[in-house]
Amino acid sequence: MSDSGVRGDGAPCKGAKHQLVQIQAPEPPVYWKSVAELHGAPRSSGEFPGGIPPASQPGTTRRDFLSLMGFTLAAAGLAGCRAPVQNAIPLLVGSDQLIPGVSDWYATTCRGCAASCSLLVKQRDGRPIKIEGNAESSIFGGGTCATGQATVLSLYDDERLRGPLWQGQSASWEEVDRHILESLQAAQASGRSIALLSGTITSPSTRAIISAWQARYPHFVHVEYDPTSLSAVRAANKESFGLAVVPHYAFDKARVIVALEADFLGIWLSPVEFARQYATARRPESTPSLHVQFESGLSVSGSNADLHLAVAPSELGLVAAALLARVVRKTGHVEPSLANDPLDSRKLDAVAEELWKHRGESLVISGSNDVAVQIVVNALNATLGNIGKTIDLAHPSLQRNGNDAAMLELVEKMDRGEVHALLMLGVNPAYDYHDPARFLSGLEKVALSVSFSDRRDETSSRVHAVCPDHHFLEAWGDAEPVTSHFSLAQPLIAPLFNTRHAQESLLKWLGHEPADYYTYLREFWQKNIFSRQQEVHDFQSFWDRSLQDGLVTAPPSHVPAEPGFHGNWKAAVASILEDQGQHQQTGLAEHYELALYESVAMRDGRHANNPWLLELPDPISKVTWGNYAAIAPAAAAKLKLADGDVIRLKTETGQIELPVLVQPGQHPRTISVALGYGRSKVGRAGQNVGVNAYPLVRVKDGHRQLNASEVTIEKTGRSEKLATTQTHFSMEGRPIVLETSLDELHQGRESNAEPALPTLWAARPEGEHAWGMAIDMNACTGCSACVVACQAENNVPVVGKGQIERIRIMHWIRLDRYYSGPEDDPVAVHQPMMCQHCQNAPCETVCPVLATTTSSEGLNQQVYNRCIGTRYCANNCPYKVRRFNWYNYTDNPQFDFNMESPLGRMVLNPDVAVRSRGVMEKCSMCVQRIQLAKNVALQGKRELADGDIQTACQQACPTQAIVFGDLKDPNSRVSQLQHSRRRYRVLDELGTRPNVSYLKKVRNPVKTT
Amino acid sequence: MSSTVTRVNGKAPAESAPEQVPMLPPPVWVDDNPSLRQITDDIARPLEVRPGTGWWICFGLAVAALINLGGMVAYLVAKGIGIWGLNNSVGWAFAITNFVFWIGIGHAGTLISAILLLFRQQWRTSINRSAEAMTIFAVMCAGIFPAIHVGRPWLVYFIFPYFPNQRGPLWVNFRSPLVWDVFAISTYFTISLVFWYLGMIPDLATLRDRAAGGIKKFVFNVLSLGWSGSHRTWSRYEIVSLVLAGLATPLVLSVHSIVSMDFATSLLPGWHTTIFPPYFVAGAIYSGFGMVLTLLIITRYTMNLQRYITVRHLDKMAKVTMLTGMIVSYAYLTEFFAAWYGGNLYERYHFVNRATGPYAWCFYLMVLCNVITPQLLWFKKIRNSVALLFVVSILVNIGMWFERFVIIVVSLHRAFLPSGWGMFYPTIYDIGILVGSFGLFFTCFLLFIRYLPMIAMWEIKGVVGLGAHKMALSSQEQEEPVNA
Amino acid sequence: MPERFLVATFTDSETLLTAVRAVRQNSFRIYDVFAPYPVHDLDHAMGVKHSRLPWVTFVVGVLALSFALIFQFYTSVLDWPLNVGGKPDNSTLAFVPICFELTVLLSGLATVAALFLRTRLYPGKHAQGFAEDVTNDTFALVLRWRDNAFDVHRARRVLEEIGADRIREREAHT
Repeated sequence: MSDSGVRGDGAPCKGAKHQLVQIQAPEPPVYWKSVAELHGAPRSSGEFPGGIPPASQPGTTRRDFLSLMGFTLAAAGLAGCRAPVQNAIPLLVGSDQLIPGVSDWYATTCRGCAASCSLLVKQRDGRPIKIEGNAESSIFGGGTCATGQATVLSLYDDERLRGPLWQGQSASWEEVDRHILESLQAAQASGRSIALLSGTITSPSTRAIISAWQARYPHFVHVEYDPTSLSAVRAANKESFGLAVVPHYAFDKARVIVALEADFLGIWLSPVEFARQYATARRPESTPSLHVQFESGLSVSGSNADLHLAVAPSELGLVAAALLARVVRKTGHVEPSLANDPLDSRKLDAVAEELWKHRGESLVISGSNDVAVQIVVNALNATLGNIGKTIDLAHPSLQRNGNDAAMLELVEKMDRGEVHALLMLGVNPAYDYHDPARFLSGLEKVALSVSFSDRRDETSSRVHAVCPDHHFLEAWGDAEPVTSHFSLAQPLIAPLFNTRHAQESLLKWLGHEPADYYTYLREFWQKNIFSRQQEVHDFQSFWDRSLQDGLVTAPPSHVPAEPGFHGNWKAAVASILEDQGQHQQTGLAEHYELALYESVAMRDGRHANNPWLLELPDPISKVTWGNYAAIAPAAAAKLKLADGDVIRLKTETGQIELPVLVQPGQHPRTISVALGYGRSKVGRAGQNVGVNAYPLVRVKDGHRQLNASEVTIEKTGRSEKLATTQTHFSMEGRPIVLETSLDELHQGRESNAEPALPTLWAARPEGEHAWGMAIDMNACTGCSACVVACQAENNVPVVGKGQIERIRIMHWIRLDRYYSGPEDDPVAVHQPMMCQHCQNAPCETVCPVLATTTSSEGLNQQVYNRCIGTRYCANNCPYKVRRFNWYNYTDNPQFDFNMESPLGRMVLNPDVAVRSRGVMEKCSMCVQRIQLAKNVALQGKRELADGDIQTACQQACPTQAIVFGDLKDPNSRVSQLQHSRRRYRVLDELGTRPNVSYLKKVRNPVKTT
Repeated sequence: MSSTVTRVNGKAPAESAPEQVPMLPPPVWVDDNPSLRQITDDIARPLEVRPGTGWWICFGLAVAALINLGGMVAYLVAKGIGIWGLNNSVGWAFAITNFVFWIGIGHAGTLISAILLLFRQQWRTSINRSAEAMTIFAVMCAGIFPAIHVGRPWLVYFIFPYFPNQRGPLWVNFRSPLVWDVFAISTYFTISLVFWYLGMIPDLATLRDRAAGGIKKFVFNVLSLGWSGSHRTWSRYEIVSLVLAGLATPLVLSVHSIVSMDFATSLLPGWHTTIFPPYFVAGAIYSGFGMVLTLLIITRYTMNLQRYITVRHLDKMAKVTMLTGMIVSYAYLTEFFAAWYGGNLYERYHFVNRATGPYAWCFYLMVLCNVITPQLLWFKKIRNSVALLFVVSILVNIGMWFERFVIIVVSLHRAFLPSGWGMFYPTIYDIGILVGSFGLFFTCFLLFIRYLPMIAMWEIKGVVGLGAHKMALSSQEQEEPVNA
Repeated sequence: MPERFLVATFTDSETLLTAVRAVRQNSFRIYDVFAPYPVHDLDHAMGVKHSRLPWVTFVVGVLALSFALIFQFYTSVLDWPLNVGGKPDNSTLAFVPICFELTVLLSGLATVAALFLRTRLYPGKHAQGFAEDVTNDTFALVLRWRDNAFDVHRARRVLEEIGADRIREREAHT
């Protein structure tokens, strides 16, 4: 089996199941030295018993293959499951399917957020160690997001519960089950309701289980609750189209994209999918789509927009209405009367003009949770005829089903004592509910509260029973992110701890037989998905194939006609104007407003104990380890505030204190604060990092509003250092990020005709390959997935806030973000910067001990064993991409992150050395992957093909902004890109001759007449 | 060697016969013409009596600082250089600044002992011994820093190419200025040490013969290698001294040139400059003379040797200081001019940043000490006022330390990519180790003036004996005076 | 067996010089002269030939230079040529500093070593003590009592005429 990213193996079969059951030995676990000892299999000698197998084995039949894979999975489980800490490689069994040191790839589904991307997970010696996107997914592609990349680390989180808890004490499953069943019977008797409070559930089988509960218990209610929900979108669509759904958007079909406070490239709904679509539609070589962003802060999407217009949250509706009015005017109908435009009318005219020009291939979205705004947006899309073109209501997205109203009602019911049992799946209301006190008082009145949380968090520390769910890498599962796009999830490791599928718990308490989720899942798929397809007739093979591919696209059960718009947008506009009117008369127009947002790193806060995410610089502000109040330069000047000054923000719902960050591009009257920080119970790494802003969330007619229109700012006089990884944001007029305009590009005025710099040196003998990279800065959105991917692949240590304040971040790839233009309305650009692998590397000449040299294949290689740490190379590196180990970052209590704990170290990639104190390190262009691909090609007796090698950053990039390949192969993609008219090399005039080249950023400004 | 000195010395004043043309009275370098025995006694006395409180106070302070150095270095090796203020942007700061500073200090010693010897400058005789000692101790201090500033000090021997090579064909990178440094510094140290010791042998013999007995006698007996004052030895001895001087002269010039190449061969704006070698050598001599002044002004009081280290000596040294100071100032100007004239974007930014950036105060302090201060030495009043000279010499040392700091840190903290910019803030360990290095230096020096002849007796005797010789000669035949 | 010497001491270098000249005119062979500092013109007066030690410096210097050059060339071109910053393997210019330093170091050390060998100076050697204070303020002229031809009385007379401070006969092992 190969592991060069080419999947095709790795599907466990029915065999697998039994193996797994067999493994789950009764407590206390039986320890053994090796799998051989366990199974009594004959020991075999030699490092690779049976030799290294070729990429494909014609001899073996599918069934042998699958049963062996079953064993693989079982054995894989063993590696991690019983002796997580001191596991050497225990797999001494002569299996030609599982070879120590050779990785397998399994398809599964991400549960980092409800977007449910399809994944391929690298399993090495029984441990999942790297997450990658499943390139075969028609929706998500091979890319991932930073959060998805980091989820693998959460698997090895010390804070995870070792087993179930009853009344806060650890108990056996039987015990907990008994208590819960008793209580449930009591509930049935009492007639008080049983509530399941869950986050968005994309798993159809789980939904089936829940409906079974509905059937079983008359008083059962299921509430889906998202801390940052789109419930207004659903409500608006119900009113406009009669469908309470979140539509499936197609950014790739849109020629004009207008986003109102919706960071669809960063965090909104399904960022990986959208980023991928967005990039395909934005290729400057063809005619790229136009992107206009109205928002209060500066988001990832905003930093990529062709036109970024700062508007206060309260003006969002007005903007939508103003656009609608203009568009309606063009249709010749009567327009609603608008008092005044929230901002420069000419710009709005231009935007409306563009929208109108591209009717039917434009797209307007809004992240506002205000129904009126959403209705206006619907009206806009309907008038432009986008419904059914760029907006698919027939196959809606199922990634955000949260219903705020239902949640509010549930809390009321709890408070009235009408809820007997509350089961909480993947939610943490005690932290992220806008009124935690009320929720908790309600929780007190609940007779039985159960949490499936994997740790003692704000909520689960207050419930009767905690029944820890598996981490998704230990779990079976399925998902349907978009209607009729199904994906499967399979375990990559047997449970590390005594945890249990939440679904299994639910089935048990339901009295379903057999209670185990795997069987249920298979049966569910047989009934519901297998039946909906024709091409495979034998379920077993369908199942195996689906498990291998990880995804199935079934023809929709029924295709509803695209509904027409019948919403009352006039009323909506009226209510918007009314709101605005209130602002005017209460004189709040000059008040400061608050905008809350999910940050790319922390999202809604569920990953708050993940050191990789905590240390991930925000794509825009480059701040790590905490949130801040982003405030416009003008406002900062007016209020005499500077970076780090701690201010107190008061709204009618609450107040928080946090440091200021002066953010160019921020709306002058709006202060933006990231959610997801300030967890009080989450674990050592994330405890009390930043401030919890959820208490500032307010509710307006049943929907959680992530903004407040009356904020008072008080200085506390305190000051707090922000851990920023980039302190200077201007390019100082240096030719670092080069830009061109679309016109120039198309009129061919651009050319990469660099004069070859003269050299006095004889050319050196060429190697077999010349590895190089091309980075398209037009495609790069700055989402930072590559940063975490690199960290996971290359064992890059986390150094913590203190070290980052001292400019000692270790990331091998950084995203430089520069601003140009005026401070209040800047143009931003992201530049991925890693070792440029110069052919004339300045770092090499100065190293006294030859610890860094150029390989025969053009790689600038660092020899850790030889390095004595003079740091001369780093001083002489014009790109400042070298990273020095100032301390021992591994196994050092001073740096109590994942590399300190034995469990956390299980995520380390055995192919990459963990660097000791005092040595220099840097991007190696994933040399371990290059070597692996070469070996695989060698075993397959074939030439290395372009695309065989993908660096971690390249693989993770949802927009494919990074291309790696062999510059000696004239047909490789990277070589092709060398001919691009946009191509250039950073600081080329220094004569460093980098092997990494960049493609210029293309500007396509909206012409405002 | 004094024989060579003689010729340039014209004639002793008193004895010029009435009939001959009057000519310049030759300078007299030792006051009130002591007898040979007197000289021996004066110079050997400090070694035989108990030192005064002044010495003890200085020594106490120095040793305290030295202990502090030991402790901090131990902690550094235990924890890692993260305890310093260094970061991804600024990879070198205090350690390398101190290294260059101390190496520079050393240069004055070699200049006095070797170059002035070749130029037959007679005034060097009173000060060359202590100046050479200073060189040795300064180079010792300098040597610490390259060793401790690396990430893995226990592997620092990787930097030496040695036989047998335990790493097969893997040697060192002979293109790296750091390797050149290793060779330059070790050569410089060895040759200086040998030169110093060689010059001391006759005096050690004198001390041996004075010593009553016991350990002192034994030690001096061993160290003086059985020197008997045989003239057949003397004549070879002088030849060899000249040869060593001839070798040391290009050596001392090469050492700081090579140190400057650490920076000049890189491509960092502010480092990548061709004028560095001469600029650094001048700076080195400038700072070195500053330090010699400081030391001699202290010792001539604590050891009451005013008779041998006269104000005229100080005056000479002050002049050299002024000259080199102005060479350095000129180099500063040249740098700025080249940056402006060269029109290189990064170079220009660097120099604007040097004068207006966050570290501008260092730059102006440096200008004050290295450009303005030397100008004071135009005035004979100041040159001859010991107190003022002492102040000037201190300022010179401060200024030169900051020059190196400015060159190293200011260049690094804002290099090519603005995304990689960052500030350097020293920690307690940066400062402590700097102070500690002074502790080491002064401990060594104070022990030296306590236990070894800090003035070359035989050379002084030569000079004085010369006087007598001249008297005789002048009474017989005329001799053509050659003025130095 | 111990040899016998005639030792005359002087208090100043002038008398010493005249004494040396006179003794040689009287065709006595001077065994050696001892002085606290190298007395000017004494070489000439004693007829000491110019030392050949500088040749050591030159020869060793040449050897050291060629060794340094060959060693660096061998390690970076022959033994294991590595691609360092794309520079040519034989970066001769970069080898210059080390060539220079090694030349100075080795030739310097060799010269001093040669001096010690030639003048037989080594730790623990017992200094010849023909007279007191020759390392302090006394000058001594020593004649060897070689054979019967040596007329000790005449020698004494010559020295006394010039004004030797003291004249003694001594036995010593050489």
